[in-house]
Amino acid sequence: MTDVAQRPPAAPGPNDPYGQVPRTAPAQPRPNDPTTFASGFQELPTLPVGDLRPARDAGYSAPRRALRRPWVVQLIAFLILLAVWQYLTVASDRVPSIDNILSFMWTEVTGGSHGGMLVGEFWGPLGLSLQRYAIGLAIGIPAGAVLGLALGTSSWVRGLLNDTTLVLLALPAVVWAFLASLWFGLTSTAPIVAVVLTAIPFVAINFSSGVRSIDPTLMEMSKAYQVSRRNQTVDLLLGGTLPNAFTGVRLAFTTGWNSLLIVEWFGATAGVGWRARFWYDALRYAGFVGWILLFVLLITLLDRLVLRRLERHAFQWNQKPTLSFAEDWGM
Amino acid sequence: MATVLIENLTKIYPPTITYPHRVQALGGVNMSVTGNVFVAVLGPSGSGKTTLLNIVAGVETPTSGSVRAVQDGVPAQVGYVFQEPRLLPWRTVLNNMLYVQDRKSDRSRREAEFYLTMVGLNEVAHLYPSQLSAGMQQRVGIARAFLVNPDILLMDEPFSHMDALTGRSLREYLQRVWLHTRKTALFVTHDVSEAVELADRIVMLRPGGVVFDDIPVNLPRPRHPDDPAVRAVEGEVLRRFDSMEAAVRFGAQAG
Repeated sequence: MTDVAQRPPAAPGPNDPYGQVPRTAPAQPRPNDPTTFASGFQELPTLPVGDLRPARDAGYSAPRRALRRPWVVQLIAFLILLAVWQYLTVASDRVPSIDNILSFMWTEVTGGSHGGMLVGEFWGPLGLSLQRYAIGLAIGIPAGAVLGLALGTSSWVRGLLNDTTLVLLALPAVVWAFLASLWFGLTSTAPIVAVVLTAIPFVAINFSSGVRSIDPTLMEMSKAYQVSRRNQTVDLLLGGTLPNAFTGVRLAFTTGWNSLLIVEWFGATAGVGWRARFWYDALRYAGFVGWILLFVLLITLLDRLVLRRLERHAFQWNQKPTLSFAEDWGM
Repeated sequence: MATVLIENLTKIYPPTITYPHRVQALGGVNMSVTGNVFVAVLGPSGSGKTTLLNIVAGVETPTSGSVRAVQDGVPAQVGYVFQEPRLLPWRTVLNNMLYVQDRKSDRSRREAEFYLTMVGLNEVAHLYPSQLSAGMQQRVGIARAFLVNPDILLMDEPFSHMDALTGRSLREYLQRVWLHTRKTALFVTHDVSEAVELADRIVMLRPGGVVFDDIPVNLPRPRHPDDPAVRAVEGEVLRRFDSMEAAVRFGAQAG
């Protein structure tokens, strides 16, 4: 290749009136040079392999790169939260300290007493709440799915029930909780019904919009190929509805859990919500906050460990999250 | 033997909010296609080509007239290659192929793999459509159309969205698979060169959906666009289009 020093001097030309662009001599084919084609066309020289790290990290020092790691950022946020909490603990006697909460909850798990009050009811309330929650979702999600598919596929059903479903969707979980408590009293039915009624509109509306978002050209294609009803239902209808359906199911999981807690708080004699209220009424803030934190922890773990993994598996073709409580942080 | 019999086919779209006028897409089309022939329907935009195929496929209904697509007296199985691939984005290439099969048996899977191999895509059967180029997706569309063992193969400008090089390569794939199967084919295009390269017969439509000419193409296969014989037929087709346009203009002026 011609060295820069050997290039002919720049001279003004029609496209370069000031002679600023250096002229290069045309490449000459060289014998036995694998980068030179017979036609004289010379392959561009291979650039040296540089930093192969993603561009977002390039140019940062090692500590700064570490600070950009998602899990490090998450850890920092958690530590800040703990520090603020600890400060509030010192500043106010109404905020229980973290070690106090942990100690209280440990006693709940293992049995024992707090200030003369017998504690040790952990697995009973937790198991009962989870059972009610599971039953409520097991009824609410399929019912909402069937209603949503009917709303999406039939204009008649849509005309009949769409507005009603939207109104039900607009009702907050607390309304369902109170209604269920009024209707069924202090029984296990009330929390289950509240979860069912909270879940149905979310699932139905999302399934319905999922069906209607399916590309009509795919339906034309199915019609032209006379695709069987089974394949159309499984592959086209359910497959195309899945992203929206997943959003609906995740919303049902979270709002259903909220609804359950409220019903148990106001109208139950057992369960996580009831236990949190028990300690609230007893002015044991450590117990109250401990149970509320457990409530938050469970729904977060459910979302992160189950729903998001399922979502990733189901959306390999897309890899766009439908709904997340946080950005994708590698969990 | 597969037959497509089109009699006095008319399609008029009613006014819409965005275009408050009636639109005549087809104006009394008569044509028949019988046997293992490759027929190109050639016409400019707005001549009702896609509407014609959609009615033959049963996707649209005609305003008047009739279409009979039969194989030995019974309704024919149709394979349709659309302008765009129309693949289910959430299914893999192989599952997109199997979607049009009634039963997902080992045999249908092997058949799907065979046609994917014919279009050079057996290695990507496990990928999703979004992971393929537009040309590869269209090849899946072609393979899918042949997989249903169609009596009649319908193709609606399948290469119109491709760049010239990809379109040329896809035409070669299509010729290869068609020569292997020899299905009755109805191929819609506005590209004269494409029509002459692929078809045994060219039916020409003018705007308003009226057939104005029908030219046989008796050239050996495979054909190459640079072949002088192919070029001669192209010239003849273009000359007839020019005559038609001149006649339409003259008629309009005289009217």
